[in-house]
Amino acid sequence: MKLFRIISILFFVLCLVGSDAIAQTDSTAVADSLLLRQLQRSMQQAPSLIQPQLAPRAALSMNPDVSAIGDFRSSYTSLGKRKIETYLNELEFQVASVVDPYARAEFLFSFGKDLNTGELGIELEVATLTSLSLPYQLQLTLGKFKPVFGKVNILHPHYFSFIDFPKVINNYFDSEGMFMEGASVSWLVPNPYDFYQELTFEVGRVGSEPNASLVPGEDNQLLYVGHLKNFFDLSQNSTLEIGFSGLNGPNRLGFSTSVGGIDLTYKWKPLRYNVLKSFTWQSELLFADMRLSDMEIVRTYGGFSLVEYQFERRWFLGARYDFSGFPEDGSRKEQAASLLLRFQPTEFQILALEYQYTNRNYDRNFSQVVLRAIFGIGTHAAHKY
Amino acid sequence: MSSSGLGQLKVVTTLPDLESIAKLIGGGQVDVFSIATGFQNPHFVDPKPSYILKLSRADVFVTVGLDLEIGWVPPLLNSARNSRILKGGEGYIDASVNVPLLQVPTSASRAQGDIHIYGNPHYWLDPMNGKIIAGNILEMFVRLDPDHRSIYESNLKKFDETLDAKIKVWTAQMLPFKGTKIIAYHNEWPYFEQRFGLQIVDFLEPKPGIPPTPSQLLKVINEMKRDQIKIIIVSPYFTTESADLVARNTGGKVVTLATSVAADEQIKTYFDLFDYNISQLLQALR
Repeated sequence: MKLFRIISILFFVLCLVGSDAIAQTDSTAVADSLLLRQLQRSMQQAPSLIQPQLAPRAALSMNPDVSAIGDFRSSYTSLGKRKIETYLNELEFQVASVVDPYARAEFLFSFGKDLNTGELGIELEVATLTSLSLPYQLQLTLGKFKPVFGKVNILHPHYFSFIDFPKVINNYFDSEGMFMEGASVSWLVPNPYDFYQELTFEVGRVGSEPNASLVPGEDNQLLYVGHLKNFFDLSQNSTLEIGFSGLNGPNRLGFSTSVGGIDLTYKWKPLRYNVLKSFTWQSELLFADMRLSDMEIVRTYGGFSLVEYQFERRWFLGARYDFSGFPEDGSRKEQAASLLLRFQPTEFQILALEYQYTNRNYDRNFSQVVLRAIFGIGTHAAHKY
Repeated sequence: MSSSGLGQLKVVTTLPDLESIAKLIGGGQVDVFSIATGFQNPHFVDPKPSYILKLSRADVFVTVGLDLEIGWVPPLLNSARNSRILKGGEGYIDASVNVPLLQVPTSASRAQGDIHIYGNPHYWLDPMNGKIIAGNILEMFVRLDPDHRSIYESNLKKFDETLDAKIKVWTAQMLPFKGTKIIAYHNEWPYFEQRFGLQIVDFLEPKPGIPPTPSQLLKVINEMKRDQIKIIIVSPYFTTESADLVARNTGGKVVTLATSVAADEQIKTYFDLFDYNISQLLQALR
């Protein structure tokens, strides 16, 4: 009996809903028919190419820009027992976005293999908060970043034209340069000649990985970095940049290391055919004073000079000469000559072949040939000039 | 009011077309600078630090938008230390607002080449869209500098009237050639094509941003022979080697059209841009 009552109530409710739905369907059908006729009329009137418009035209989601860049390498080295290597050098995963009207943030993770141990590791290379609207032409960056020392150290390997960083960067800092954790303040310096001059001052500690010249330190001794960038438009097609860098920070012996640097970059690129031809000449010179004890300071220097010529839309040729000491050992020196051929089918893929001959005064000389493939997906923030 | 304190609004635009329109609307009340030149590929402009200086002092920044300048505007704006001209700021103008867009993709993949997910961004090549751009610029000028509203509005009226009169002339000149099939190097002419009744049937690039390949050129040669197509249009920043090759094999003509103001010495204003292009096309079509 109870079951019959429930079924009756359900039937009654369904009838009510059904009649409402039928009535609604009738009115909806009329409206749909009108809408359909309107649409047909507007489609007949509209030019065939016009597509439905997406509004607004700004980002359609609040998702940050996300990109992944692979760096695969194969190499042959004339020295050693294991002459041939083939490995994924790095997978760089980047997330970047504006945080709010006042700042933007960037995170960069690197997944890479240690060639000595064969183990895969993950490192947070960059995590920064950068201001967008400080007064007096100032910009503040907090977090972990590559300090502004010279032109090459600030780059990530995929953006440097040659496969390896110059020997001087490798010997003075690390194979991918130097990282630091701290604060960076830069200022657009007003000047009577109205050229671009930017002064940067950074303070903090060397990033988690100590390098040949610097360590995070155990006491209150911090790393200080300064850079003055001067940029000139020589003509519509050519530019010149001259920079001066300096740093001081703790070294692994409990004393301090000071490094000074000068960088010079000349770029030529015809405006009209700016994707077809270009030429770059870049040089850096570094001087290091590394204190090993109360009595002993090792003074060394190193540098590089490179040229790169784009001879076709997708093809580049490069040559580089390196010379470098070692900050802790004034007697050791090395030189290297490199040749590079790069093929860049699109902005998202680079294939490069590099030959390098290295001459050392403390060990045997050797040759190396490296093939590299860089491939990126997603939205990677555009690089600075 | 203006950052300069001299009463003039400092305006930075990405392209010279926007610069020209901003000057025509702003008159003597604005000081306008364009980052790109007229003969430069607007997809690939180097974000030189000297542009950061200009942007750091700007009251207004006008961009084409639709990701046309995605490779060079973000690093400039991020370093400009000027919140007024950042996206959402009081001096940021996306000139594409209210423009009826063409070729808005329903799906997007880089396998399709350099496609623009919001639609084809070369909309300033339809002079009717110039009126929409001018309206967007006027709105910003009036908001930032209400004291000179009447001057801006009067300039806009003059701009619209001149453009309307010229559009009538241009469309009349092109009318006899309505439906003429042509080939283009890159997919940057749909707005121009639609306005002036042309029919672009193929491109020398197999996909947007991918340089011409032998198989694509052969395909175009066959199409031109089959359909009696006589015109190949290229932009000033592409070399004409591929177009010349196709023209030699088909008896066609290569016409270099201006994609922007100042692409040629004769093109000093937004009006001149269409005067020049229509005249070049008419010479080739007759």
